[in-house]
Amino acid sequence: MLHTLNFKRGIAISSLLVSNLIFVSQSIAGVSVIVHPENNSTFSKKIIKKIFLGKSKNFDNGKVILLLSPKTGSSASNEFNKAILKKTASQINAYWSKMIFTGKGTPPQEIESVSEIISAIAENKDAIAFIDADSVTDAVKVVATF
Amino acid sequence: MKTNLLIIVSLIGVFFSAQSFADLKISGYGSIIAGKTLGTVDDPLNPGQKRDEILTADFYDVGQYTNDLTFNAESIFAVQAVADLGPKLTATVQLVAKGVDNFNPEFDWYYLTYQATSDITIMAGRRNIPMYYFSEFVEVGYAYPWMRPPSNLYWWQVTQFNGVHAMYDFDWGESSNTITVFYGNEYSDDNKEMGYYEVLFGGEESTTVDEYWTNITGVNWVVSGDWFEDITYDLRFVYFQHDLERTRNIVDGDNTLLLTSQTFLGFGGSVDISTFTFLFDWNFVTRDDGLGTEFPTYLLSLVYNHNDFHPYITYSKADHERTKSIPPTEDLEEHYISSIGLRYDFLPKVAFKIQYDRFVDQGDVATVWNYHGDSDTITLGVDFIF
Repeated sequence: MLHTLNFKRGIAISSLLVSNLIFVSQSIAGVSVIVHPENNSTFSKKIIKKIFLGKSKNFDNGKVILLLSPKTGSSASNEFNKAILKKTASQINAYWSKMIFTGKGTPPQEIESVSEIISAIAENKDAIAFIDADSVTDAVKVVATF
Repeated sequence: MKTNLLIIVSLIGVFFSAQSFADLKISGYGSIIAGKTLGTVDDPLNPGQKRDEILTADFYDVGQYTNDLTFNAESIFAVQAVADLGPKLTATVQLVAKGVDNFNPEFDWYYLTYQATSDITIMAGRRNIPMYYFSEFVEVGYAYPWMRPPSNLYWWQVTQFNGVHAMYDFDWGESSNTITVFYGNEYSDDNKEMGYYEVLFGGEESTTVDEYWTNITGVNWVVSGDWFEDITYDLRFVYFQHDLERTRNIVDGDNTLLLTSQTFLGFGGSVDISTFTFLFDWNFVTRDDGLGTEFPTYLLSLVYNHNDFHPYITYSKADHERTKSIPPTEDLEEHYISSIGLRYDFLPKVAFKIQYDRFVDQGDVATVWNYHGDSDTITLGVDFIF
């Protein structure tokens, strides 16, 4: 913003407004579902929901899905739960507790940091995860953004 | 008693960690629940005498509330270990400690899971009978909104069995489906619930009752998915039958009480519509005893989901009829529970719950089928997972 110091006050303010707008548009950029760049399976919102509830265990290509997710309570996790699963974190935990303790399903493996998720996806052809849309890099393929 | 549990849990840890800790998953669930009944009632078994109201919250384990506040009727602590034995084979154990057993831990679940193909799973070992909609996770309080699935439906003397399950997953249209066929047996010597009734009806403490459910054979079908934008459903149909042998072991010999078979038919589920969850379970049990014995039961519940607050109401009804006795009669066991409560998810893996239950016994007075008696009960506590 240093260069704005050379402008008149009015211009500086509009510049600030623009940067604020960019910031806002980034924060509602949402959450992106990411896979390995070589994964050519098709994904719809319904398929993604089924995958992250453990109801679809295989990709189109027949490969068994490795489910990864950010930590519960992270912004990406909260946003994904709300937009795709339409549940609170606790309701998702309740769903998985039924599956875990009857031996009928395993929840996504929670990964600590976004960079670890990206490298896990980049290294594993059968993995799928979601992260904040603005954290996406070229190492992974985005199949949907919500 | 708690030391026992700790020792066993640590032993499991040591045993599995000696093999390979990376291939072992430890998790668990629990409930710490306190409660009491609020009044007294005319004792159905001793007319003219008053006694505390009693609510049987857990029939199988005879977990009961009286006027004395207790933590023991429903509190439970369970640890599950899942060990990877190979790429497609796992072993699962659940060590469960219950207040009703003075927290003495027992291995209630132990089974192998073999992922035969991507859509066929075989399980073999000890598990809960997939009887009613909530039967398989009836003790995982965190998994449902209420304090417990209504106990006047979950009233059977046997809830677990040793057996085999084969599960087939498939998509049908946009719905996800699982069909499970199962077979197994349970030999419950000195059955706890039957032993309770024995003493309740004036028998000797030393008289034991054995309850054998054999050739438990059946199928269930779970279908789940979405309708439109904001309706999700999970529905389950079940049919199974089993041979039933109930024997009373008295000093002079054995006394066969029942030698028959039973058929279970059930349809239950959960439907989310916008901010509401509708839960229901209908079951119809018939006994092939020449008397046309039938046990029709159902529950209905509505939950309002507002962020982390989930207030709910529930109504459950259980009945017992004999359609072929001479004369046919409906004047047997009959009761309903109406409940109101709140679940508050105050931490991501901990839920606070409070519930009020009104149990109304409509059993026949002359034949003392009203032996439960009415009750008003308040319970509160937390359910958690880890």
